[in-house]
Amino acid sequence: MKLLVIEDDATTGTYIARGLREEGHTVDLVEDGREGLIQATSRVYDVLVVDRMLPKVDGLSLVKTLRGAGNRTPVLFLTAMGSVEDRIGGLNAGGDDYLVKPFAFGELSARVQALARRPQAVEQDTVLRAGDLTLDLLSRKVVRAGVEIDLLPREFALLEYLLRRKGRVQTRTMLLEGVWDISFDPMTNVVETHVSRLRAKVDKPFDTALIQTVRGAGYKIDA
Amino acid sequence: MRALSAKIWRSMPLRLAVLLVLLFSTVSLLSLAASYAVTRSAFEQAVRDDLAQDMAGFRAAPNASAVALLVEAESRDTDPGRLILSYIAPSGRIFGNGAIARDGEGYHLVSLRDGLAEIEGEYLALSSALYGGRLTIARSRAEVEALGTVFFNILWISLLPTVLIALSGGLVLARRSKRHVEVVRATLDDLTTGDLSARVTVGPRWSDDMVRIGETLNQMAAAQERSVATLRQVSSDIAHDLKTPVQRVSLQLDELAQEVDAESGAARLVDEARREVAGISAVFDSLLQLAQVEQGTLRETFQPVDLATLCRTLCEMYEPDAHEQDQTLVCDVPADVEILVSGERNLLGQMLANLIQNALRHAGQGARITVSLEDTDAIRLTVTDDGPGIPEAERTRVLERLYRLDRSRNTPGNGLGLSLVAAVARLHGAELTLGDADPGLQVSIVF
Repeated sequence: MKLLVIEDDATTGTYIARGLREEGHTVDLVEDGREGLIQATSRVYDVLVVDRMLPKVDGLSLVKTLRGAGNRTPVLFLTAMGSVEDRIGGLNAGGDDYLVKPFAFGELSARVQALARRPQAVEQDTVLRAGDLTLDLLSRKVVRAGVEIDLLPREFALLEYLLRRKGRVQTRTMLLEGVWDISFDPMTNVVETHVSRLRAKVDKPFDTALIQTVRGAGYKIDA
Repeated sequence: MRALSAKIWRSMPLRLAVLLVLLFSTVSLLSLAASYAVTRSAFEQAVRDDLAQDMAGFRAAPNASAVALLVEAESRDTDPGRLILSYIAPSGRIFGNGAIARDGEGYHLVSLRDGLAEIEGEYLALSSALYGGRLTIARSRAEVEALGTVFFNILWISLLPTVLIALSGGLVLARRSKRHVEVVRATLDDLTTGDLSARVTVGPRWSDDMVRIGETLNQMAAAQERSVATLRQVSSDIAHDLKTPVQRVSLQLDELAQEVDAESGAARLVDEARREVAGISAVFDSLLQLAQVEQGTLRETFQPVDLATLCRTLCEMYEPDAHEQDQTLVCDVPADVEILVSGERNLLGQMLANLIQNALRHAGQGARITVSLEDTDAIRLTVTDDGPGIPEAERTRVLERLYRLDRSRNTPGNGLGLSLVAAVARLHGAELTLGDADPGLQVSIVF
């Protein structure tokens, strides 16, 4: 993918750019809002990563200007301000997602992936598959290797969420938002606990594990 | 009623009014009494002078029979109620329109006209021997007596309106000053409960001293608001400026993690360092969030939030955590009903999460934790555990930032959880109470 990172802290910007390049993306890095606006309008990017506080033109007005000009490139805001009000402000300005500093690189990478695929995320299939596992959305049955697995509603939702995003890492916060509709910090490793419960039913009785842990980032089910 | 009148009586303007009325009445009474005494004695003197003059007129007669004739002539058309003339001639015969009779009971004035009828009333008399007889002239004191009534009426007419006006004026002033004091008191209340934007609005009819008090109070509040704002700004700035370096460390650790062997001791150290960084940023985020909640500006974005669903989601979310510690997490929330409050969903969720989290951490192994929500006369959310609870003396202190009970120093947490709970409750106008569940802690929030 082709990404534009607009981040005024050189160290942070360099790390992000390097990390994203290592994952195989093409990354342009600029350090102020005016330069960012010029780049964003003169080339086509898959995702923009925009710091909210930028010199010359700040992140919020940059995105507003882009949206005003009809540019719909997905935007991931980076911010040191993590409050609800800031989040709402960022999303209202036309941001698509919001990441509060300090974040782990895995989180950023997962969210960039999610944003780039957002438009194609609508799947019409009523049966989701991974390996020898099938999840039927209509009968709400999960079968692996011919054995029916009994799941609680939330475990079913968690598995469905991971299956719908096969091959992509889902971070702890993405799961909280997607499965529980929670965008505050539960202050504990509840997600890990729920995933391990799901694993105990879906993976443990079988030879291979479907749900992978991605260190420092989250979980995924391989495509 | 008695309580009300007792209250009104304690008001300064009314007391002043009553004191003034008393003073004014006393002065009026004294001055009227003095002028009455002076007028009365002047009146009596005039009567005495008249009597002396009358007497002198009769003395001018040449002999007893002339006096008798004069008395007889003058008294003929004279009302004995006003003036009595009586001459006892040397012969013993009585001339005039009245006489002084004496019987066993004392002296009586009798009319010589209407068959010796007794004449009532007080008279001032002058009696003198004249040509072998005795002439007595008596003038009625009725006019002097009437003077007393006149003065009493003057007192009554002049004093009554004064008293009424002063008292009702005092009452009105008392009511008004009570209202003004009430405005100041309400503002002070708001200021002490954390609304530092509260100000006294000085009315156009306020007295100067109340206006001064109001203005001084406003200056004080403004100064306090400024310093609190500065403090918040500084703490936000610090948290904000420290986040950039923490961000760098976090990214550097991520990169380091890619380079070390996942099974090595170095990898464990990197993981530990990442957890520490996450902890640091959690404290920053909590501090920033607290500062923002305390500003109160979020009220503008309030929307209806279904507390019932929120409670169920969080109970279900923490159930595995509770299970791992042999704890029971009970969700006592009415099924299939929405219980709506106006608020910010994420903050209310964070509040409830902090409360459940607290109970899980501090109630100990095997504890029973109940989240209950009722919607009776008010919406009441309670989180109850049967753990060790919080000593009563420390219940308000645990709401302060970074305060931790001694026995909790070694459990995870940063001492900001309950501060945020308190701030979120305040933001939503809800009342937070930490109570004794005997044993254990009961936190209740009434919306």
